[in-house]
Amino acid sequence: MPDLVIDDLHVRLGDNDILKGVTFTVPQGQIVALLGPSGSGKTTILRSVAGLEQPYRGVIRIGNGVFFDGAKGINVPAEKRGLGLVFQSYALWPHRTVFENVAYGLKLRGVAREELARRAKAALAQIGLDHLGERYPHQLSGGQQQRVALARALVYEPPVILLDEPLSNLDAKLREEARAWLRRLITSLNLSALCVTHDQVEAMAIADRVLLLEGGKIVQSGTPTELYSAPNSLFAAEFMGANNRIQGTLEALTGTDATLRVGDRSLRGIARGVTRLGSSATGVIRLERVRLADGPGENRIAMRRAASMYLGERYEHVFETDGLSVRIFTAAPIEGGERWLEFPHDALWIF
Amino acid sequence: MRLFNYGLFRLAVIAIVALAVLAPLVLVFYQSFLDAPFFQPSAKLSLDAYDFVTSDSDFWDAFANSVMLAAGMTAIAVPLGAVLAFLMVRTDLPGRALLEPLLLVPIFISAIVLAFGYVVALGPVGVFSIAAKDAFGFVPWNLYSFPSLIVIAGLMHVPHVYLYTAAALRGLGADVEEAARVIGAPPWRIALTVSLPMVTPAILFGGVLVFFLGFELFGLPLVLGDPQGLLVLSTYLYKLTNKLGVPSYQLMAVVVVAIVAITAPLVAVQRRLLKSANRYVSMRGKGVRSDLMRLGGWRWPALAIVIAWFTVTVAIPLFGIGLRSVVTSWGEGVRLSEVLTLAHYGDLWDYPNVVRGIFNTIGIGVIGGAVAVGVYTLVALVVHRWNSGWTRLVDYIVMAPRAMPGLVAGLAMLWLFLFIKPLNPLRATMISVWLAYTVVWFAYGMRLVSGTLLQVGPELEEAARVAGATTGRIQRDVTVPLVRYGILASWLLVFLIFAREYSTGIYLLAPGTEVIGSLLVSLWGTGAIDMVSALSVINVLIIGLGLAIAMRLGVRLHA
Repeated sequence: MPDLVIDDLHVRLGDNDILKGVTFTVPQGQIVALLGPSGSGKTTILRSVAGLEQPYRGVIRIGNGVFFDGAKGINVPAEKRGLGLVFQSYALWPHRTVFENVAYGLKLRGVAREELARRAKAALAQIGLDHLGERYPHQLSGGQQQRVALARALVYEPPVILLDEPLSNLDAKLREEARAWLRRLITSLNLSALCVTHDQVEAMAIADRVLLLEGGKIVQSGTPTELYSAPNSLFAAEFMGANNRIQGTLEALTGTDATLRVGDRSLRGIARGVTRLGSSATGVIRLERVRLADGPGENRIAMRRAASMYLGERYEHVFETDGLSVRIFTAAPIEGGERWLEFPHDALWIF
Repeated sequence: MRLFNYGLFRLAVIAIVALAVLAPLVLVFYQSFLDAPFFQPSAKLSLDAYDFVTSDSDFWDAFANSVMLAAGMTAIAVPLGAVLAFLMVRTDLPGRALLEPLLLVPIFISAIVLAFGYVVALGPVGVFSIAAKDAFGFVPWNLYSFPSLIVIAGLMHVPHVYLYTAAALRGLGADVEEAARVIGAPPWRIALTVSLPMVTPAILFGGVLVFFLGFELFGLPLVLGDPQGLLVLSTYLYKLTNKLGVPSYQLMAVVVVAIVAITAPLVAVQRRLLKSANRYVSMRGKGVRSDLMRLGGWRWPALAIVIAWFTVTVAIPLFGIGLRSVVTSWGEGVRLSEVLTLAHYGDLWDYPNVVRGIFNTIGIGVIGGAVAVGVYTLVALVVHRWNSGWTRLVDYIVMAPRAMPGLVAGLAMLWLFLFIKPLNPLRATMISVWLAYTVVWFAYGMRLVSGTLLQVGPELEEAARVAGATTGRIQRDVTVPLVRYGILASWLLVFLIFAREYSTGIYLLAPGTEVIGSLLVSLWGTGAIDMVSALSVINVLIIGLGLAIAMRLGVRLHA
């Protein structure tokens, strides 16, 4: 099956520009996650692809099949696109049984009765719910409902499946299980999927590629590893992971090597888009990259422990020194008082 | 190749609705500028009719009376309705669950039946008047006076204000009241300074609605005002029929234009207020409903006021009409045991028009109501979740008949059936009555149905669309099956409204199109009080049965 291509998509609601030119591709067999804070336009992209929202410019196509082309005035209605969409609320029809919910898409396609029963049952078996076909949605648990919603979207074998915050209605424990199950199912069926989420952990876990959105534009795209370990903006760095933020001024810059001046100390890090010496700059380092050190040295600062928290699988500590506050993780409890903290220079990004 | 084009279907439905709703109005306007009935070949454009009506002092008297009546009843209904709502929603008034449905009874019982009830209960020789005379030596009230008319009309419209105020109060967070309570305000103070001011837009809406209904009022002024020569616009219109001896359609048209000129702006104001009222409610405080405000020693006086209102507004007239329907005659010195009879009910069956009227009433309620709800549902579905200028147009179109009192709408529909030659044969059939009822109650029915439709989450419909269903298919497979109980409830409410209706059928009354309501008005004119009483009781029983079914099924009695 061909790729889903979105080119220069613009959506406006009233006077509000929701999408300001979004371009990306969902390659066949890959899972792409749209990640961003609320209002970044991620759900609008998904709804535009589904045909539930109308863009005013751009192109949406699968291979050579054009769904939307603003310039040519093409807009295939949602019901003719043949995509699968899993709603955040699942949107299971309460007046139909699980089986009827799943079979509806086949019925609309005029599939003969025996064939329809066979395929709907197969779809239910795929999600492990073939024994619950006669139940009504309200008789299922949240996790089961989510699976039915997925089966309903998969049953007519859409070229791309669209997922709108598929896990957000599940409680935390169930979510982690469902995440793994979802990724396995989609990859084992060799499906293409476009998934919207505001949770960066979920995006990284599920997707082959992550598109990070802000204010209706894609600010960075790449594999989860690229996004996490090489963010190209302060927004991207801060959106992913748990971070320490260090305010200072840019002291020196040679190639990608930058030095951040913080008070009377200097920290060496990797330059990320900073150019002007003396201008204010922000250093960002992931909590898990800050290390305890045994004594003074390069990129090391002595700080006092101000608080300590037990998080179960690890400990979190807050260290302070004049005007600077840093949080770190450790595997074991540590002594209080003054300690040396090291900020490895390849883990400190300077924006 | 698709045989069925939903887009075209939509526009066709909208066009038909526009035609059915606007044609009568347009015809009335056209008629008002002619110097003779439109069916006379000699009729030509002129302003004579306007000259005649505006130089008739009766018209101006009627106009002034209408304004006074509307203002007076608003002044009575608004404070009572608002206080009643506060007592019912926010306090521990005893017996609230029992009182709640009773409060809505005046909305569902025909005003003309209540008017007859007042005459036979409190009129000069009424049941209670004679009892009072025996006790005090004189009757301490005069039913046939303008103030009595205003008070009765005001009391009868308390539920309208109550409904909107109560709905708004239910939406109000308890925290704003609790804040006042903690500071030290007693219940009555909280009502006057916190709760009711916060729902002002709803109260205001109720007030404008009652003021508007004041101009529509027909049964009460006909029965209570006419004997003293008191005319309001609607009764002036009714009397005009006979004024010149010949059909004075052009004059009636002018009066209709005058009434619509007053009511149309009021409908527009209501629309605006309803929007702002909704906005206000959404700005409510947070917090769950806490326990109700304790009235303490005030519980019983408060309950007494509510019961007194119900007694005067519903119990007394219904008791009066019920009693009158089972006695041969009534007057001073009559002993009840000597005059009791069920003969009036038996006599009804000797009159074929009355028998037809009873069956027609049930028929238009059950079958006509079902078809009307079908029409409302179709139109509501056509504009359902359709973001377009057409939707707003339909909104405005269906509001238009609200500006026509039932009497006027019936007249306009009669003319329409006379004016359009192919419709002539249908004029003396129940189809004309059904069309008039359906058009008059279009806005009400649409509100019932579209309110139900909006309860279907949009994503349920979108899910079907993505799965490959067209708009028509979505509505058939998802929307309608999900709202079938709501549509059933709408049918019951429309049944109640249609069975109660009296003014819309008056001008359409002909052999074959009798309904109880219009028969009552015409029988009242002939003085057949025995039949009027019995027929009124039958009407109340039909409505009572409908109400009982509705309550048994747990239908909410208001849109």
